[in-house]
Parts: sequence; C-alpha cells; structure tokens
Amino acid sequence: MIFFINSTLQANKSGIEHAEIKRLRLFNHHNTDVRMIFRDWNPSLHIATAAAGIEDRQVLNMFDYFQDTLAMPQQALHVDDISFGVPHVRYEDDAAQNRYLVTAQNGQLVARVNYRGADRQVWSTELFDGYNNLYRVDNYDARGFKTLVQYYTPDNKVGTEAWLDRQGQVVLETFHKYDMQQEWQQAGWRLRDRRDGKTYQFDTIEHLTLHFLDDVNAEFWSNERPNVFILDRAHIADWGFLHLKKPAYTAFHLHNSQAGNAQEPLHSILNNNYEFSMNAIDGYDCVISATQRQTNDVEARFHPHTKLFTIPVGIVPDSLLNAPRIPVKDRQFGKMVVFARVAWEKHLDDLCRAIAIVKKAVPEVSLDIYGYADSSDNYRARRAVEAVIKENQLEDTVTLKGYTTNIDEIENQAMMYGLTSRMEGFNLAIMEAISHGLISFSYDVNYGPNEIVQDGVNGNVVPYEDYQEMARDIIKVLKNPQLAQKYSTGAYDSSERYSEANVWQDWTNLLADAKRVWPAKLAAAGLEA
Amino acid sequence: MYYFVSENIFTFNSGTEHSQARRTKLFNKMGRKAVYVSRNYNRYLERDRQSVDLPADQSLNMYDYFQGTVNVPRQEQNLRLLPELPLDEYHIHAHGPNYSTLDQAGKKLAKITVQPATVGLVNEIVTNDQYGNQTTRENWDWRGFLSSVDYFHPDGSLGVRRYLDLKGNTVIEQVWMNVNGKLQPTLWKLLDYHDQMFRFNTEDQLYLFFLNELIHDDDDAKIISDRRTLDYVVADVQGAKQKWPAFHGLHTERTHNVASAPLLPVYQDVLTKFPDAFDGVLVATPQQQQDLQSRYPQVNVLVAPDTVIDDIHPHQPQTAQVVLYVGRLSAEKRPEEALKVFAEVKRQLPDAKMIMAGYASGPDYLEQLKHQANNLGIDGSVDFAGYQTQQQLHELYAHASVILQTSEAESFGMNLVEAMGYGVPVVTYDIQYGTPYLVLDDQNGYVVPDGLDQAMATKVIKLLTDDTDWQSKSQAAQAKAVGYTPDKTFAKWKQLGF
Repeated sequence: MIFFINSTLQANKSGIEHAEIKRLRLFNHHNTDVRMIFRDWNPSLHIATAAAGIEDRQVLNMFDYFQDTLAMPQQALHVDDISFGVPHVRYEDDAAQNRYLVTAQNGQLVARVNYRGADRQVWSTELFDGYNNLYRVDNYDARGFKTLVQYYTPDNKVGTEAWLDRQGQVVLETFHKYDMQQEWQQAGWRLRDRRDGKTYQFDTIEHLTLHFLDDVNAEFWSNERPNVFILDRAHIADWGFLHLKKPAYTAFHLHNSQAGNAQEPLHSILNNNYEFSMNAIDGYDCVISATQRQTNDVEARFHPHTKLFTIPVGIVPDSLLNAPRIPVKDRQFGKMVVFARVAWEKHLDDLCRAIAIVKKAVPEVSLDIYGYADSSDNYRARRAVEAVIKENQLEDTVTLKGYTTNIDEIENQAMMYGLTSRMEGFNLAIMEAISHGLISFSYDVNYGPNEIVQDGVNGNVVPYEDYQEMARDIIKVLKNPQLAQKYSTGAYDSSERYSEANVWQDWTNLLADAKRVWPAKLAAAGLEA
Repeated sequence: MYYFVSENIFTFNSGTEHSQARRTKLFNKMGRKAVYVSRNYNRYLERDRQSVDLPADQSLNMYDYFQGTVNVPRQEQNLRLLPELPLDEYHIHAHGPNYSTLDQAGKKLAKITVQPATVGLVNEIVTNDQYGNQTTRENWDWRGFLSSVDYFHPDGSLGVRRYLDLKGNTVIEQVWMNVNGKLQPTLWKLLDYHDQMFRFNTEDQLYLFFLNELIHDDDDAKIISDRRTLDYVVADVQGAKQKWPAFHGLHTERTHNVASAPLLPVYQDVLTKFPDAFDGVLVATPQQQQDLQSRYPQVNVLVAPDTVIDDIHPHQPQTAQVVLYVGRLSAEKRPEEALKVFAEVKRQLPDAKMIMAGYASGPDYLEQLKHQANNLGIDGSVDFAGYQTQQQLHELYAHASVILQTSEAESFGMNLVEAMGYGVPVVTYDIQYGTPYLVLDDQNGYVVPDGLDQAMATKVIKLLTDDTDWQSKSQAAQAKAVGYTPDKTFAKWKQLGF
C-alpha cells in the first residue's frame, strides 16, 4: 500500500494539502490504491476530507485507527440525544455562544452543550458535578459519536484525556503533568492496541506515531512489494521513519526550500523544518523534490547515498492541455495577474514597483492581485503593497481582488503572470498560469518559478529582486506582439512537462525503485519472501 | 428475603460484621433466604468473605452488582502472565516478593504490586510518566480480573476512578473534586444502567438507589441495618416490608449512669430523628432494651440474638496454663488491664502464657502495649497474635484455660460465647451490658468489680490451679453456650417474628 502522511486537513488548505490531493487523484486515476494518513486528532477531519472529495476508505487517521472508527456512518447528534444522569433537566438556548445551558430542577448548572451548524450538531459537552465543578468535557466527532473525554483538574486544566473506541471503551490516553521544574507538560501516552490487545506506554506523540506506523506497516504487509510511506510533513515522522520495526520504503518529500535562505542553498542555515531530515538523509529510501534544481542543490550540499527523485507537485490535467488555446490578441492587453497570499515571502510590493515602471512606457498595463492578505505584523505585506500603489499613483492600475476560485475565467482573459517571491517550494499558481497560456515574468527564485518559467521560452526569468529588469522585459513583450504570441505559445507548450502522463511516469519510476529494492530490504531484515 | 445491610466485610472485622455474617448464615441454614449486603468498594471482598466463612451466594456488594461481577469465580492471575504486557518490548523486573516493575530498556514504566500474601498475583499496575508522576492505576480484584482504573490530579491525589465490567466497559465513574477547597469524592455516575444514566453526589445516594433496585421486585423484603452510619439510607428505602436497625454497641457516650448519659450522635437517626421509618430496634440484652425503652417509650425495642455458634465443642486436655484475650486492641477494651492481670498471674504461676488475639487500633497503641508488657516483665510470656481468622480462633479457644474480659463496656460479648462453647471459663469485670447477661459469678466463671485487677488475677489463678473449680466452671460455660447454638438461636428469632 502507498501512504501519504500529513498532520491533518482543514477547510483552509496550504500548498502541501493541495499537492497531496492532486497526487491522490493521480494515483486513483491510475488505479493505484493509496491511503492518506492524518496523524493529528481532529473531530472535523471527515468533514474536511469529504469536502475535498476524499473517500472515507482512503482516510487513515491515527486516532481513528486506534479507536476503530475509520469507517463510521454520519449520524445526527442533538442535545436531546445526550444523557446527563440528572432527572428533569431544562435546556436554555444560548444561541450567541452556540450552546445550550442544561440545568437541574434546582437551577444548578449540569452541562453546557456546544453545537455547530444550522442543525445544531453537538460537538462537545462540558459537564459539572453536584458542587459546580467542571470535571469533564466530552468531545464528539462530526460523524456523531463520542470520541474524546477530557478530565479536568481541580484548578480547571485538562488533566487526563481518554479516547474511546466505537463501543465506548477507553483505548488511548494522554496525561498532562508537572515536570521537575513545575512546568505543565504533556507527559505521556498509554495505548491499548486493538491489533494485539497489548498495552503500550509512550513518552511523546512521536513514539506513538512510530508505533502507529509499525501497526500500519504490519497490517498492510506484503512480501511482494513494500509499503511506501511518503512523508509530506516532516515533523510527523522524520524521526519515526528511521526506527520502523520492519522494513518499508520511506520517501521524504520536500515541500519547501531545504535551505533557510533559498537563494543561498548551499551555505545558509537549514530550514528548521528540514534540519533533522537533511542531517539524517541517508536514513530514508529516497527524497522527493518538486524541481530538478532543488534535487541538484540537495545533491550538491549533502552528497547523499539515498536516491533523489524529482516529481512535480503540480499536474496540468489533460482537459486543460487539450483545451482550445486563446491567442494573445483575444486577451486583455497589458493585464497581468498573480494568485498569491499577500504575504511577506511573496514580496508583491516589488511586483507593483515593476508595474509602476512599465506604466510609464505602456499606460494600458494593469495588475490584479488575487489572494488573502496575510495578517502577520498588522498586515505588513498588504501595507507595503498599498504604499507602493500610493507612491506611484497606481490606484487605477493595481487592484487587490481578494481570494477567488475562478481561475480559468480570469486566466483565459489575462495576458501575463508575475512573481517576485522571496522563496517558493514549487508554486502551483505559476504552473497553472503557463497552462492557461499566460506569459510569465519571475525572479530567479528557488524553487519552482525559475524552472517552470523558462527564460526566452514562456516568459522571462530576471535576477532576484531586480524589478527594473523585470519591467524592461514586460515592456519588451507589450511592445512586440509577435514576441508575446511566441511566449504564450511557449507557455502552452511548456506546460506539457506537467501533464498527468509525465508526472505519473515520475511516480512510476519511484514505485519501481521501491519494488526493485524490496528483496534486498527483506533479506537485510531476515524476512526473505 | 432478608437483607442485612452494612458497609463492608473488612480484612479485620469487628463484632458487627461477625454478628451480621453469622446471622446471615443462620437464616439461610434455617430456610430463610438472607443476604449480607455491603456498600464499600473492596477488591478483596472474596477473600474477606471467605475469612468470615460466608458463602458466596449470601454476600452481595453494591459495586459487584453494578459491575456485573457478583458471581465471578477466582482465577489466579500471575503478573508475569498478564496478556496485556508486551514482553517483547518490556522487561518485568522483580523487586522482592511484593512488587515488580515494568521496564523499557532500563526505564521504569510501571510498578506492579502483588496481592497480599500471594506469590506473584497481580494487585495493582501503576504506570508513570517520564517525570515519575503516576498516570494510571489498574486495580485488580482478588478474583483475578481488572476491576477499576484510576487517574490522578496534578498533586498525585486520586482524581477519577472508572469501575469496569468484565468486558472492560466503564459502568461507574467516580470523580474527586474540590468542595470549599477540600478534595473529596463529588460524583458517582452510573453510566448505563438498564440503558439509563444516573448521577449521584454521594456514595450513600448510590447505595440507596442500589437498595431500592435490590428489593424492587421483592414484596417480602425485610431489612436489618447493622451500621448506624447507614440507618439514614435504610430509612429512605422504598417498599420494604420491615426495617430493623440492629445495635452492636452501647448507645451512650459514657458507660456508667447510662440512663442519663448523652446519646451518641450516630444513634440519633434511629432514636430521635426518624424512628417512624423503622419497625423497631434490635438489641442484644434485656438491660439495653430496658434502658432504651424507658428513655424512648415510642420506640419498639426487641432483644435479638447477637451471635450464634455452630456447636458445642470439647475442650482439649490442658497442657499449659493459657490466659486468652480476644478483641480489638483499643483503649475502650482496656487490654492494658489484661496485661496487668496477667503480670500478677505470672508472678505466682511462672509457666503461665497469655495470648492477645486481635488487631490493634493503631501501630502506636500496639507499641505502647508491648512496651507495657516489657515493663511488667511478661514480654516473654505474652503473644500478640494479631487478628485471627475464625479457624485460628477455634484453635485458641480449644486450648485456652480462661478468657478475660476487661472492656469498659460491651453490648454483648460474642468472644465470650465462642469461648464458652469450648468450655473456657470467663473472668470479667462487672460492666454493661453483656457481662451480667452472659456470666454469673462463680457459675460459668467469675465476675469481679470493674477495675480491680488484683481481684481478677486472684480468680484467674484459682481457675488455673484448682482443677475441680475449673471443671465445674467449664461445664457451666458450655451449658450457657448451648443457648447460642443454631436451633436455639433461631427459635428466638422466630419468637420475634422473623
């Protein structure tokens, strides 16, 4: 079996989750079964996975696994379905707080019942004893069953947490305690493992996760081919992968620059998220990067024995590749777009500076920015963009449009795409841009943009932070319709690199490697088939 | 059916529990279905029940009832054979006979204690975190199954107990939280009793619920309340045909001038607060009956047997001079008087021995008594034998020359009845209420004025040296004890309408 490993899935997905979901569709399309492992406890997980179009049978949450609640029917759960053990309780709707206050006949508070949504599905109950102490909070899964009981301390902290199986029995506990310095810590775990009926203790969730991966590896064991674990969030199992009980094929997937400064890939302090894995790189069976450039830099810096694969995280669907191409003359002249969060690392104020220069030569130019504004540092990134707009009187030229999903329509009308980020892991947006025939202008920034954009083929790559040069290249294109059409055609053509067939071929190579090395791994573990 | 309601069968029982257990057995033997009902959570109940010779089907504990573990036979569970321990990951490291630790690569994960006086049977599994805090405690029943799981508050005090059924489902949850800044149990929750949940603020509320459930379908339920602390619970039980508190002690704060002495607070429920909830009160002696009747004329007081012995037994040939004390070693029983008496006896009869059978009210008190024996120069002749099972007591009675009674007061004196069943004469102080009822001076023993230890010693020496006197007292003692054999005892119960 093939496993993609992540922490969780929320309604707001980052690039990693988008990449995973695209990969899942690719594998499913090629009838290659996959399980998406989500390690963290999340009572709303199955809402998020369902919304993302992921079938329950492919969702493998660690807590669900131990709780034996992987596949549960969706059930309504309302306040009157809940017992409190107190006769004749009254319910008072506290709609402002999305809860009911449940009181005994003497007026004493018995429980607060917290609900969500229009149908008021219960998601937690805060329970009080007969002396007004909050002693316990029950948490319900969105599918309508009790999943976690949290016992409170006399000073109102969560003390012991206990997860229940589908019969309501405790199968997993975690404990919050003081250490020797009187610091409040998550101090340990205890698991009654349904696979073997044994009770295990763990100091940390990392040890618990390793046990879970061992369980999964055993459950899906085959002598024919290894289980392939693809780790998409380093902290979940970068250590665990090194300590599996039985062999598996472990793939470490880089989703961002391994170097803290992506422009100094060989010397800068490592990206903290990848410091451990890059130091332990030979403990994995392979490392996956989304671009050849990143693969080369990893090779150059670490000289690993482990295999390196380059597999794009973006896929341009066949429907898009085969769609009618829109000539530049049918597009809005001078319209540049960018799809990005308005955040510091996207550096969109530089893109505005380039447009300010272009405008002096080609007044018809305009820029639409689509994306959420990042709130960090009191919307520092958006304020930087707004300052450049004001300084250069770009109010009619640059527009902050906010988030949209209407990509096809917007990109089929626009002409250009701009990118001035400080660093990237791949940048799905610019891949989508070329697949829509947009002429792209990008800083020479690692990793993704400087590979997706090919200088002189589908646009121009300019030196990092050289927005003047970018402006000159944009002007050249706007003043030369033949060049513009050449680049647009080049964009359509170059998106073929990310066709489903090409990306699948890359994955096939990896899976073939896993199969090829399997007999040797089995033999090394004394488990020859 | 008869329900004899109490707190527990303890490891070390007082006369109350013995009286209750014997009554239970007697009633069943005589064809009256009766059950010893206990409230406390006691993982050793099976062992303790056996130590008072109570058959399994005559004992019913509340927690067992709700946990569905009433009729579970014992299966010894060695800690090294616990199926839940992954012994390919963890070592079991023995630290002597009382406990082992569960270690992972030398790091302690848990402490596994051994059931008392067994070899390696699992008692508790106490897991700890990496900082050494206790995280969970699994409590195993004497019968070899996991009975409850505890969680702890940050200061290490007990926070939550989950009582389990045999499948591992939590059936009762108990919670300890603060009330006015003091940690105490604040909640008992029956989680799924006949598909319903019930919350209780106190254990006695749960006990009341349990008792009501117990007698719900019994239209001939007769309850005897054996513990004063539970009278208020029994008073609230619905639908019982009869309710009788059985007194096993003096009802007053002092033991002289009883008629005018203040009532002990625990007797208020029955005698002053809600006497109407009961059909009357059972006491062991006519004297206590009279005292109560004159003071509480509205209360129906009956004299009922407080004990029963299985039979009259032959006394073994006397090979040594053995003075016996049977009873708790606590101040109100004045064991120090017995030691003083024996010191005098030994001065004249150097070969005499004394056996002090009974558990001490505290380790300090025991030390004090041993120190006293040492000072009296009798430490080599006194055996502080501790708590004795019924079988051990019978051995002692069969060989004892005389039994002493030095208490400030006794409502009855089942130790004396038992000893007399073996023909052991009694030497006692003249105290309330049991003594005048059980012992006639110069008949089945001697009664000396309260506190006169020299006089008591003189009588003891006489019995130890004058075989003719001993024989006549011994025969009279046995004759007295005949009145407490099963048929005779039950005849008295029947006379009372039971």
